[in-house]
Amino acid sequence: MRATPLAVASLLLALGAPVGYVLLIRVPLVRNHPGAYVAAFALALALAVVALARGRGRRWPAWVALGVSGLLLVAGGWFNFVGARVPATPTVLRLGERAPDFTLPDADGRPVTLAEFRGKKPVVLVFYRGYW
Amino acid sequence: MEIVAVSPDPNERSHKMAEGLHLGYRFVADRDLAVCRRYGLIHPRGGPNGEDVPRPATVVLDRDGVVRWLSLSDNFQVRPDPGDVLRAVRAL
Repeated sequence: MRATPLAVASLLLALGAPVGYVLLIRVPLVRNHPGAYVAAFALALALAVVALARGRGRRWPAWVALGVSGLLLVAGGWFNFVGARVPATPTVLRLGERAPDFTLPDADGRPVTLAEFRGKKPVVLVFYRGYW
Repeated sequence: MEIVAVSPDPNERSHKMAEGLHLGYRFVADRDLAVCRRYGLIHPRGGPNGEDVPRPATVVLDRDGVVRWLSLSDNFQVRPDPGDVLRAVRAL
């Protein structure tokens, strides 16, 4: 393969991976494998290196691909393996034990007490912040 | 089954999100993270401005309020597959 198509493929892969991840964030299989976009950046970097090694004539597309994929690999790798890490916490939740009761206001300001559901129905508690 | 979503976010924000996503959740506001702290579910300084935020977690309680299934994420991008949560509820 000639150098320029390789550089273009590298750029498409490097830029397409995060776009695809965000677009498919609601698909659990995609969302729960964020390492895949880091792998895509690494593959894009490898393609850019091959493009540079074969480069005769126009070399700038390969340099651009190398810069973009290299930056994304560092940033994406840091985000996935460092930035997005959540440290283990000493949770009081134990399988087989009752969850501590609480009362908090709902969206209309009415108090919701966990113990009110007791004897009535199962409860799924979801702890989160922001939009995900 | 009752889904109770606990978040420090203001209620207006949760309300908007629930309407946008057509979610039949009960959103409750833990503004000062008192409940998250009591549950031991805090990601210290994990917020965008260095503030404490909840550690993402999904917990299935049976009719007696006993913990039957638990998912604690160690990467905030990763959350349980809703199918797994439903299976845990159906298995009760």
